[in-house]
Amino acid sequence: MTHSLHRRGTRESLKEDYIFLHIPAKGHNDAGHEPKLQEFLRIALRHDPKNIGTILLGNMYSHKIEEVIDAARGVVHAVFDNPEAVTAVLKELKEADLGISTVVSGIFESVDECFEKAGLKHHTANFSLGIWGNTKRLPPDDILEVTTMCGHALIAANLVKAMVAEVKAGTRTPEAAAKALAPQCACGIFNPARAAKLLAAMAAK
Amino acid sequence: MKITPDECIACEACVPYCPVGAISMKDDIAVIDQDECVDCAVCLKSGSCPVDCIVFEPAPWPRSLRTVFSDPRTEHKATGIAGRGTEEMKTNDITGRFQRGWVGLGCEFGRPGIGTRFSDVDKVAQVLAKHGVAFESKNPVTALMEDVKTGKIREDVLGEKVLSAIIECLYPIEKFQEIITALKEVAKEVDTVFSVEVINRAEPDGSYPLRKLLDEMSMPYYINGKQCAGLGRPLADV
Repeated sequence: MTHSLHRRGTRESLKEDYIFLHIPAKGHNDAGHEPKLQEFLRIALRHDPKNIGTILLGNMYSHKIEEVIDAARGVVHAVFDNPEAVTAVLKELKEADLGISTVVSGIFESVDECFEKAGLKHHTANFSLGIWGNTKRLPPDDILEVTTMCGHALIAANLVKAMVAEVKAGTRTPEAAAKALAPQCACGIFNPARAAKLLAAMAAK
Repeated sequence: MKITPDECIACEACVPYCPVGAISMKDDIAVIDQDECVDCAVCLKSGSCPVDCIVFEPAPWPRSLRTVFSDPRTEHKATGIAGRGTEEMKTNDITGRFQRGWVGLGCEFGRPGIGTRFSDVDKVAQVLAKHGVAFESKNPVTALMEDVKTGKIREDVLGEKVLSAIIECLYPIEKFQEIITALKEVAKEVDTVFSVEVINRAEPDGSYPLRKLLDEMSMPYYINGKQCAGLGRPLADV
């Protein structure tokens, strides 16, 4: 489950992409964990997340927010587009002391700063060494910047190309195209705000 | 996944949704290449078909592996959790799975968006085994190994194609360079792509010895990554 790790993009673009994972440890603290995950989602919702989701149901673009909260089980996610929100959520989580493991994905230096401002020390890191093997088979980088925001690879490169074509033709706005992609990412780590910018840039080429 | 030919209206709406490009138009109907299809059900769950003619019928072994390794909404029997890997570093503050002085390695085959046959996974797993890594016992790929000492994946699944399969293993940090060098070599022999990740426990001062090592080796790594905040309870003593 490395699904929020290998997101690609420029520093400028990744500065608007932060993902929280809130997950109990099976056999350690998973008994009765659901209300804690729900509380995490409520905290996240106070800070204007760009997405929230839980894998066994879906995300806020495929379901109503209350449905996502009710279905919270196993692991939940929230996506933000600015470090101030990340810091604010971390501070509230520290205060709430839910006891559930919390992982934040994003540019290392930015996340380090958020941890410091929230009075937290990082515990364990996961570094991406990139894509290896027969990389000639990969779609272009700009497509990958969108598709890798669904770490389970459920957003097809061809669907991104179709959305770019629609934006180019003026039949969808970049924002509408991003929201059409979002439901495909089952667990809700896709960032439609960032995707809209990437789609608009591709359509402008 | 299958499309009922008599019901398909050839609208092509489902075609772009397939993550591995296995749907195409032939003789004015949409068809799914059964050998390339990974049974992820994205086409079905997208709701793109206006006449509901995409169907999923659970397959017998070994094709049944395609769904559990491709649709993250299904739960692996080996892990007990949804998704393709394990909790890996996400809950390390509680499980203590990755201790100081060790490196966790993950190779996610087929990602992003290409898919993989288990024959490619097998090649790399056998190389890693020769270098003495400890495969993660709760990982679903490990569950397919005939012998974790050799890394050999069972013969009857090698031709199966899935959207993603992750090798997870652990080794002492002193062996990092040796193992990365071996991985680079075997990467030339695989037909698919794989995303590579490494995991490291922070020192008491918050630094990561692995990051220092990556810099010393001039090994490129992404500017973004994942960090556990240490908010889990009870904390593991690692």
